[in-house]
Amino acid sequence: MEGIANYLDSLIGGVDLTFYSIAIGGLLWGLFVLRPWDENANYNSALLEKTVNLIHFGSKALVITQLSKIGLKIWLMAVTLGKSPFPAFFNTVQFNAGLARATFAFALFLFIKQALKANLRSKTHWLVATAIVVPLVMAAAWLVHGASRLEDRGLLMALTVSHQIAAAAWVGGIFQILALWGLKKQNAIAEELWPLLLKRFSALGIVAVALLLVTGTPLAWYYIRTFQGFIGAGYGNLLMVKIMMMGLALGFAWINRQAVEEYFASRSLYALTARVPYYIEAETLILLTILFTAASLASQPPSVDIPHLTATWEEVLNMFHPRIPRWESPTHEALIAGEAGRVAIVGQVPSEAATAWSDYNHNISGIFLTVMSFFAMLSYSERFHRWARYWPVGFMGLGIFLFFRSDAESWPLGPIGFWDSTFNNGEILQHRIATFLVFMLGLYETRARVKADPGILPYLFPLMSAFGGMMLLAHSHVGFEAKTAFLIQVGHTLMGVFALILACGRWLELKLDAPGKNVAGFISVFALFQIGVILMFYREPLY
Amino acid sequence: MRFVPRILLVLTLAASQTAFGHAVVTHNSLKLKPVPVNQASQVELSFNSKVELDLSEVFLVSAGDVMKPVAASPGAKPGQVLLDLPALAPGEYAIKLKIFAADGHLSEDLLRFFVKEPK
Ligand SMILES: [Cu+2]
Repeated sequence: MEGIANYLDSLIGGVDLTFYSIAIGGLLWGLFVLRPWDENANYNSALLEKTVNLIHFGSKALVITQLSKIGLKIWLMAVTLGKSPFPAFFNTVQFNAGLARATFAFALFLFIKQALKANLRSKTHWLVATAIVVPLVMAAAWLVHGASRLEDRGLLMALTVSHQIAAAAWVGGIFQILALWGLKKQNAIAEELWPLLLKRFSALGIVAVALLLVTGTPLAWYYIRTFQGFIGAGYGNLLMVKIMMMGLALGFAWINRQAVEEYFASRSLYALTARVPYYIEAETLILLTILFTAASLASQPPSVDIPHLTATWEEVLNMFHPRIPRWESPTHEALIAGEAGRVAIVGQVPSEAATAWSDYNHNISGIFLTVMSFFAMLSYSERFHRWARYWPVGFMGLGIFLFFRSDAESWPLGPIGFWDSTFNNGEILQHRIATFLVFMLGLYETRARVKADPGILPYLFPLMSAFGGMMLLAHSHVGFEAKTAFLIQVGHTLMGVFALILACGRWLELKLDAPGKNVAGFISVFALFQIGVILMFYREPLY
Repeated sequence: MRFVPRILLVLTLAASQTAFGHAVVTHNSLKLKPVPVNQASQVELSFNSKVELDLSEVFLVSAGDVMKPVAASPGAKPGQVLLDLPALAPGEYAIKLKIFAADGHLSEDLLRFFVKEPK
């Protein structure tokens, strides 16, 4: 059970940040963008109720996740230590601050339910709700990285918490905008509200981004310090990936801002209704992935603490160096024979066979994806469309291949049973989920592309790829060799980013009209090709 | 030869490694003060963050990956931990740590070392 506990523990951080953003960011939206007490004429009750309901949901979900987080911690400790963590756990900052955070989130939930919902336009009520959030945020400060630091604790805690609030303002605002778009589609709000609120949010968004940079830069400096720490350690690498995704999200935010400005110049609603909502949906996928990456970043040791374990940039580049894919696998016997030495703590012997086995898996998967992306490109041509559109069948083949190959020490090839290996090892569990996902992806996407009227079926593919990308970014090849683990991680996180681009591109291809549709589709297929190339040239360091 | 230290060398093969988790060992005494042969000794570790010792576990791993729990006590400085090792015969060993950092991250770490006969 250690595997599941570990895996859930690595995911719940992202879930928690999401609900935190919906609650806190929703309140900021109410205070700075909506300001219901100012504008009596424009706002109807449908709008105000929807806004508050979303914040209410966020606060409720935050209580549940925070309590689950504590429960999960207890479970994780019980299975890892093999004994009850009580009563020692009651005295930890973790437990007390976590409980305080849950309590204030519950207070917010109650206040919204009892008071704010009945007084949607009262400024006092909005301010009281925000006041309840202050101790919640302060309790949260004790749960961040910086709180356990030996030096400069107060500074680090303050910076991290401000960083979180800025992120929450952006993410929470985006969720409010999606809700607003829902109302707009149903014609439940006044016509002019959509551009007006988009415009007001873009001002808040700029402040949020500025605050993200102002707080994030010193934090990054504090925890990383050197170029090598940025380029050659897990912490720096995840931060780099976060910055890349932030760039993507900012790109969408910028396009949206342009569209809003165009509207106020020309009064044409076209861009604001036919494009902007879908860009915002893609932006949401990216922001959620950033939150999950941020959570996984918090579980990495800061680069500054492990200077002796960082890789050089040559070693990092070497991971992406083109080479001939390994197309011959060692035998299963050779692999199993080397396992005992590889996993031994004392008297460890690196296993050539294990490394070759893993390289083969990654390289062959890469060939699958590159070939598929080639057919996917062909499917855009009138001439080849009829048969090339079956390219997602490749995912099913890949799924079957991975099922047999990815965890050779367990069933069906190895001696460890299926359930035993799945639930006791976080990495195997992740592989199993990924394998299953890949197979289903192939099944659904083929049907979606072949059926005349697929309905919502095509949307599964981008959603599942986004989820897959998220898994890659939360994925850690757990082991004790930090440098090796990092070198493996480098390729995986970059694939995670491309999986996200694949997802956003496909999503926009489905939603936009030409020519945006074609551009998005091409970017999506290109991202698939990139993932294939990374995998095709992948070489695991010997360990 | 009473003045000659009884051991000569303890090699730390690879100092500290963690693949996940946030508490890592930044300094340890294994390099500077080798573990003596057949004599109980103390190892000093410094972590990069505060640790909850009551919720952490330390094992001594010897040949064949046999694990024995080791007593750990807080040192004088914050983040410092003292381990009491039993008398050890020459050979390769490791210290396996399961550390609960004050920020709630449970991390595992491994320190490999050799106990060597004096030359
Ligand atoms: Cu992998």
